[in-house]
Amino acid sequence: MKNFQIRSKIVNGVAVLYLKGHLDAHQVARFEKELIRLIKEKNFNILINGQDLNYITSAGMGIVMGYVDEVREKGGDIKLCSLSERVYETFDLVGFTEIYDFIQNEQVAIEKFSNISPKA
Amino acid sequence: MKNSAIFPQKPDFSISILSQTQLLKMVVELTRHITTLFNFNAAEAQKISLAIDEAVTNVIKHSYGNATDQNITIEFFLATGGIKIRIFYRGLPPDISDEEINVNKMIKKKKKGGLGVKLMKTIMDSVSYETVDGENCCEMIKWQKTI
Repeated sequence: MKNFQIRSKIVNGVAVLYLKGHLDAHQVARFEKELIRLIKEKNFNILINGQDLNYITSAGMGIVMGYVDEVREKGGDIKLCSLSERVYETFDLVGFTEIYDFIQNEQVAIEKFSNISPKA
Repeated sequence: MKNSAIFPQKPDFSISILSQTQLLKMVVELTRHITTLFNFNAAEAQKISLAIDEAVTNVIKHSYGNATDQNITIEFFLATGGIKIRIFYRGLPPDISDEEINVNKMIKKKKKGGLGVKLMKTIMDSVSYETVDGENCCEMIKWQKTI
């Protein structure tokens, strides 16, 4: 079984990135590659669904940090939803919970994007 | 701050690994087992494991420049009420800065790194570095919460 899995789909114009398993420095390149692909394809409304993510280190959080400004410049955003208490706490330890939108479930998170219209 | 002299002179447990990120998960699991067995609760064990992950990741990425054939030794010292972990490595000495990390500024600069040390310092009660004759040591201490 793989330690970390990633998949994505587009829901109502929002690119939802599903992270599963253990995201550390060894796995982070796959996360970054997929995020870059979505942005290159002009998906600037990005939702990271961490329902099945059980571990994240600064390597993974750094990827979120490194690309959020770019998508916000294009009128979009990176939001996060459905995190376990443990993973949420890791984001909180570095102060991300004051900077990013953390939403309890995917549907509400997608609706929050409806107020955002990415620039062409 | 409690007295770190309560820790034994010799480590209770130590491992040496190659500088490979694929081994990080093993180090995390091992640290979680040791800290749990030593009466840290699950949440604290998880956080201590994360701090060790961050420290070893920094060694692999920054001190060894992602070279995969270098050595890292991790020593665990157990005492009533706390755990001390020492990580020994060669390569570049650590970039030590007490500057407060501002995540908003890092976002504006599109930085992807720099959060690991903040995590280590937030989680552990003490984080210190020293270099002796080219050998670097990162020492971290965590005390158990008293009820």
